[in-house]
Amino acid sequence: MEPIAYSVPTSAEQAVSELMSEAGACYVAGGTSLFDLMKLRVERPSRLIDITRIGYDAISTSGSELRIGANATMSNVAENPTIARDYPILTEALLKGASQQLRNMATVGANLLQRTRCSYFRHGAGAIASAGSIYPCNKREPGSGCAAIGGLDRTQAVLGVSGACTAVSPGDWPVALTALDARINIFGPNGRRDLPVSGLYRLPGNTPHLEFDLKRGELITEIIIPKTASGLHSTYHKVRDRESYAFALASAAVALELNGWKIEHAHVALGGVATRPWRAPETEQFLIGKTIRRETALEAARLAFVNAQPGRHNGFKVELGIRTLADALMIASERTRTV
Amino acid sequence: MSIEKLPDRERIDAFDKVRGATRYAADFQSPGMLHAVLVPSPIAKGTVVRINETDALAVPGVLRLLTSKDFPEPDPDFEAPTGEDDEDEEEGFSAPSTVVDVIAYRGQPIAVVIAETLEAAIEGAEKVTGEYEEEPFSVVMESPGARREPIDEEITSGNAAEAFGRASVVVDETYVSPTQHHNPLELLGAMAVFEDGRLTIYDTTQHTMGVKNAIAASLWIDPARIDVKSTSIGGGFGQKAHAYGYSVIAAHAAILTGRPVRIVIPRGHIFHIASYRPKSVHHVRLGADSSGRMIAVRYVAEHENSLAGGLSPAEYHEGTPRLYDIANYHGGGIQVRLDRPDAGFMRCPFPHQACFAFESAVDELAHKLGMDPVALRLQNDGQIDPMSGKPYSSRFVTECITEGARRFGWSQRSRAPGSMTAPDGTQIGWGMALGNYPSSMSPAIATLRITANGKTRIAISGHEMGQGIKTTIANVLLDGLDIDPMGLEVVVGDTSAAPQHQTAGSWGTAGCVPATFKAVTHMQAALRELLDGRSVPGSIHRQLATIRRPYLQVEVSEVAPGQAPEALEYLRVSGDATAGPEYPDFTSMSWIAHFVEVRVEPTTRRIRMPRCVSIVDCGRVISPRTARSQVHGGVVWAFSAALREATEIDPRYGGYLNSDLAEYLVAVNADIGEIEVGFVDKPDPLANSTGLKNLGEVVMAGASAAIANAIFHATGTRLRSMPFRIEDLL
Repeated sequence: MEPIAYSVPTSAEQAVSELMSEAGACYVAGGTSLFDLMKLRVERPSRLIDITRIGYDAISTSGSELRIGANATMSNVAENPTIARDYPILTEALLKGASQQLRNMATVGANLLQRTRCSYFRHGAGAIASAGSIYPCNKREPGSGCAAIGGLDRTQAVLGVSGACTAVSPGDWPVALTALDARINIFGPNGRRDLPVSGLYRLPGNTPHLEFDLKRGELITEIIIPKTASGLHSTYHKVRDRESYAFALASAAVALELNGWKIEHAHVALGGVATRPWRAPETEQFLIGKTIRRETALEAARLAFVNAQPGRHNGFKVELGIRTLADALMIASERTRTV
Repeated sequence: MSIEKLPDRERIDAFDKVRGATRYAADFQSPGMLHAVLVPSPIAKGTVVRINETDALAVPGVLRLLTSKDFPEPDPDFEAPTGEDDEDEEEGFSAPSTVVDVIAYRGQPIAVVIAETLEAAIEGAEKVTGEYEEEPFSVVMESPGARREPIDEEITSGNAAEAFGRASVVVDETYVSPTQHHNPLELLGAMAVFEDGRLTIYDTTQHTMGVKNAIAASLWIDPARIDVKSTSIGGGFGQKAHAYGYSVIAAHAAILTGRPVRIVIPRGHIFHIASYRPKSVHHVRLGADSSGRMIAVRYVAEHENSLAGGLSPAEYHEGTPRLYDIANYHGGGIQVRLDRPDAGFMRCPFPHQACFAFESAVDELAHKLGMDPVALRLQNDGQIDPMSGKPYSSRFVTECITEGARRFGWSQRSRAPGSMTAPDGTQIGWGMALGNYPSSMSPAIATLRITANGKTRIAISGHEMGQGIKTTIANVLLDGLDIDPMGLEVVVGDTSAAPQHQTAGSWGTAGCVPATFKAVTHMQAALRELLDGRSVPGSIHRQLATIRRPYLQVEVSEVAPGQAPEALEYLRVSGDATAGPEYPDFTSMSWIAHFVEVRVEPTTRRIRMPRCVSIVDCGRVISPRTARSQVHGGVVWAFSAALREATEIDPRYGGYLNSDLAEYLVAVNADIGEIEVGFVDKPDPLANSTGLKNLGEVVMAGASAAIANAIFHATGTRLRSMPFRIEDLL
């Protein structure tokens, strides 16, 4: 059988150095996504470098920023009482993702790099686990084509799509972080750097196989979230095909800075409808100075979908996305009055 | 004759299950065991020109690769007659396909790789490449090449065409149920051991006799040299109701290698080679006079199937003509032939889809008539089967409806659609529907032995899929005999212990109970005879010890009403000897009424079901605990079928796209509200010695229609195509 090497470095430096010395090596944290993709033969690493023992799992809420180590598990962050009290948008985004068992294993850093759930991408690599299915996929096999375009595309994206790929960015957590202007700290062969979470994700364009603006060997070590009073008036609202354990058909991360009843600043990002965590600046701009009512919320939400490009079966995501965002704006504003 | 009410008793296998001690087919191991993995066809139709084995055989640990050339043609003279074979229509034994070189559907096995480890076998299987001659294919009902084949015989009573002329209100609509896959948690798999000229197969199947005969016919082995054991099944649901080629493949591999061989089919591959609930389209025309008397039905059901699959659309008409006292019925059916595997049975096969369509139509009729749906149904109840003219053995439909309405609070319903909207805009709807299912029976054979040292063992026909057959049998034994419950062993699903029937269609557990009851009465008589008037204190074990008898044993058999003793012979050779629902003097059906509340969110239009009340007439309830569990499961599945589940097929490729549990969405706990269960619990006076009727299938029938009817009541929108998804109400 194909051997896979496995190593457990105890420092970030060691992890990076191990990765750089083997072409087929790959980092693994909780493994909740990677192991599936290995069974599906979408990923075929020659070495797994387990980064869960290199540290970076602390959660600090005391300074001027929230700092969350990339290796903190989703469940640990979801259980943090300060975050739950001051930033429900973050706690909700975590608790509405995956299942408790998966959240116990998955880490908040690696979660940012979860790959798309497009069925043609996952089930088309010829694995026995996929009954040997082979589908063209520009993300998996650059240049092979896209089976989802013109195919069963009910769950595909309507924003940020290209002629090469319409795969949805699957995460909840990255959407909430995008809304809050979070940054990540990255450690790599050339040292450390900071990057806004929104800068991590690429649009598919003609190169959908290039998903993240990370260089080879780079490792996310920390997530930094600027503290904001809007956290108190925030929500992550997720609509899906069943009540739990499903990916979003449409989701919205909203945080509002308020002066009395008026919005001074709105943080808005969308999930489930776009090829990357989708910031909605048109909506944010429109809301400044507005008092939130349902009609205003719908009007604001529509602005986020002006450039939507639905396929054959996913046209409903435009209207659903608008209503989901409008509901999120209402929930966040209601929270205003009860806090 | 019937038995008295039985007590609520916990599942006798519960303790093992919560400790993880229950052993399923793939848990069985044997020293030196090898692993087999199937190689799926990457093309949807065509012929294998060449298989390149070199790369696969080069994988360390891979021992052999078998292709179609390595399997014999099945024995054409093999016979395993069933109770259903007519004299003038002698059907030969049909062995399942194993490994093929003519590909009928994508994913069909074209080779099998045998290796020392599972990992090596998988890697070997992925390294097999082939050259093929591809052919054009048709995989969905809408495909241009789909061949539409009407069924030979139409199902009629009275004169529907004439009666429609007298109808003052007519509903004429089309309803759709999607392709669905069963997805029991336990994967298909088997372990085969060939030792001293005997073959033992540990399998996960509801039909061990079917597996035994499939192996015997396919590999030319005397069935007397084969034992099949399927003692605990991690969910069957009809997927495991017939033999698959994988069992034959494991047996063949064990014989060829001289070592035990285990095979487990990964879920993605199960989607491709197992049976499925076929997509079906139901054209229902229903006419009533102005008083609300239903007088005419024309109902044509079409469903997808393989090119030669036997599952017949005629069976959609086993239930619907009997829901009401309707004199004029015209039923038809169309097979839509496609390049797919055989369609098969899946929980509540036929009545689930048929009752969805028909009971939706009845709700539409009530709306057109301006009648309450409960009143309309009560008005059309009847005690005679319109298809056969025979009376029902028992039919407490009015009791199911009135008790359900009472518990649900139906009298508080305001009739107009959309009239029960909550202040926050949530649309509330109350809907109801009926369901029925044929109460068929299988003969059963049992051996009951009680020993002086505290043990009791019953070996009987039947399989435990989790429905609770062992608990049901135990309840009858413990109710009738003073024995130690801790020493009780119920042996099912083992061809070496008793002849095994295909345990499906609800006739399995039903058939076991009268046989067990008979074993109890024979044991009581044998004991009386043995004691010969002496008064010996204590349990039966104690009594036997006192009179120095090591054990007492009885053997019994029971057939269905009107069945000749030959039925037992069919049971012994094929496991297939069912009778009903039409018996010589009566028709026997089980009945259910479901009452459902749905709430539709005002903005993003999510549909939720906070509560359901389901009242069942299944005759006498034998095992209250597992019976209630069956109703819960049936309602959950109906919810899931109506609002969640659909298998996706891309017509450009064939195969099944959403072939795992992350993408084929089944209902989760968070989806399910309160389910209240009630039983009429009146013994059926005719059906059998214990007064029971069937339960496991009927519980799902009609519940999806009740949900659709509640959605209409909530919103004024009639949804006729399952599953109902968020976009349907946006």
